[in-house]
Amino acid sequence: MEYFYTKKTAWDELLVRLLVSHDIFGPVAGEHFQEYEHLSSATVPEVIYNRPKPASPLKIFFLPVRENVTSPRKQEKQRIIIGAPACDTEALGLLDEIYLDSDFEDVFYRSRRQNTIIISSDCFDVMEHCHCTSYGIRPWDEKKADAAVAVKGDTLFIRIISEKGRKFISDTGVFTPVTDSSMVSFIDSRHRETESMLERANRLLPDYARTGSLVKESGQALWVKHSATCVSCGACTTICPTCTCFLLIDKPGFHKVKQMDACQYPGFERTAGGEDPLGELHERFRNRYMCKYVWKPAKFHSTACTGCGRCIEACIGKIDKNKLFMELAK
Amino acid sequence: MPTEKNIYRPIRAKLTDVIVESPTIKTFVLIPEEDFSFKTGQFIELSVDGIGEAPFTPSSSPLVKEKIEVTIMKTGYVTEYMHNLKPGSYMGIRGPYGRGYPVEKFFDKEVLILGGGCGFAPIRSLLYNLAAITDKLRKVTLCYGSKTPEDCIYKPYISELRKIPKFEVYRSVDKGDSNWTERVGVVTVLLDDVKVDISNSVAVVCGPPVMMKFGTLKLLQMGYPEHDIYLSMEKNMSCGLGKCGHCMMGKYFVCKDGPVFTYDEIKDQPNIWN
Repeated sequence: MEYFYTKKTAWDELLVRLLVSHDIFGPVAGEHFQEYEHLSSATVPEVIYNRPKPASPLKIFFLPVRENVTSPRKQEKQRIIIGAPACDTEALGLLDEIYLDSDFEDVFYRSRRQNTIIISSDCFDVMEHCHCTSYGIRPWDEKKADAAVAVKGDTLFIRIISEKGRKFISDTGVFTPVTDSSMVSFIDSRHRETESMLERANRLLPDYARTGSLVKESGQALWVKHSATCVSCGACTTICPTCTCFLLIDKPGFHKVKQMDACQYPGFERTAGGEDPLGELHERFRNRYMCKYVWKPAKFHSTACTGCGRCIEACIGKIDKNKLFMELAK
Repeated sequence: MPTEKNIYRPIRAKLTDVIVESPTIKTFVLIPEEDFSFKTGQFIELSVDGIGEAPFTPSSSPLVKEKIEVTIMKTGYVTEYMHNLKPGSYMGIRGPYGRGYPVEKFFDKEVLILGGGCGFAPIRSLLYNLAAITDKLRKVTLCYGSKTPEDCIYKPYISELRKIPKFEVYRSVDKGDSNWTERVGVVTVLLDDVKVDISNSVAVVCGPPVMMKFGTLKLLQMGYPEHDIYLSMEKNMSCGLGKCGHCMMGKYFVCKDGPVFTYDEIKDQPNIWN
């Protein structure tokens, strides 16, 4: 792995300079959680590094909640997103497969992906519901982002992941190559510590493939029981980094407004003839897990659950899918 | 600079004629303002400006490029608006989408077609296509069912079909009247009348879900292999692009992987009949 380093203060000064030409987003602390903010010179130093995880998933930067997809595309400023954890960058794999599909490429999505530099942040800590390692994802990114950062004291280390990331680092002129591997050995140690914490915390949680089998084999009674407190609010899908379903709404002038949708909403699959495969609450509830652990894995190469745990945190019915799967695995 | 292809943008099409097929079904004749063609069995997303959009498989010949016909049953909010449109109006078309009928796989075979209600619409397109290549086919047998004689659509076309060599047409209605001389009963009763060489035949089924289900079961009982039964599936195909998720049927996006599937492809997927 190729690392560069600079002073944390030099990095912050660089970001402030880049604010002129870029929209820069990064996680800062809120009252109860950290969340992405559109950074200003005042908030650049407040960005949180190496701690999971922003309340919103990374997808919000690529799939707006609502947009007119038939009006001309606006030229947007170049964007830099700092601090995306690996569970979020990993989710881009599935988004890319769906929205950059060569048969039907979504130009709005493509242009946002091309226009954005993603600088991931290695997780050196875990939150209560984090379980990326259970699904084969490491708490640091080596594939999907453009670069990844790790901060130690007043030094910021950056790992090159993509060519776009390499060019960005090179163009900044503030980074020095790491030539002595002992300088970054702490990163490796922190990776292992985080991995080990996650594995300990989730030792009873079945892995991705086993979860798929358990979900597939479970009968209606189980889904009825565990969906009892679901209110079909769709918070789990809204907050999920890999849920991307949407609705097209017609507007005068043959315009289409694309709005994020959720399989948890009643009527999601209803046809004009009245058939509704997901008419019952327990059917919708099961559908989400079948989609994530059985159907999407059969169709796509990318994972459809990255173990971020946000759906557990967002559920007002206090449904904890991990507890459910651990119970099933007993 | 070439225009960037926007997958969500419909093209405008002028409505030139509206043909009343039955009390609830009309055929809309449209002339698209841009080049448009489709393969039989593929579907389009048809929209009423500012109101809504719905998926339909064209009922016209895929070999005719200058116009497109879409047969629509009034069943809901959008189709009610469509039924109120007059010639001269404009509609929006996106597509064509999905995988249609693999006509080349029907060569040198008998084709048994089972259709019900408005499910005759995609079948008519297929029949136009097959009628143009009768030299490549052994026989085409159409079994079509509707609720009442009044609900039978494409009446003039049925007469034409009966004149085409190698074509046989059987019809049934659930409830007949004094003028009805053909079969009475659900469409599957027609399968007792037909003579087909199943070992060298494929079957095509299109219609309401309950008819698709029992039609398929009957074909299986008759001995049709699962991979020779072609089903045109109806789900909530909203985007047509394999993205929006509304038409997921297990691992398939019906809009992109279908809408035409063989029974063996989908038999293990959930909710195929509802």
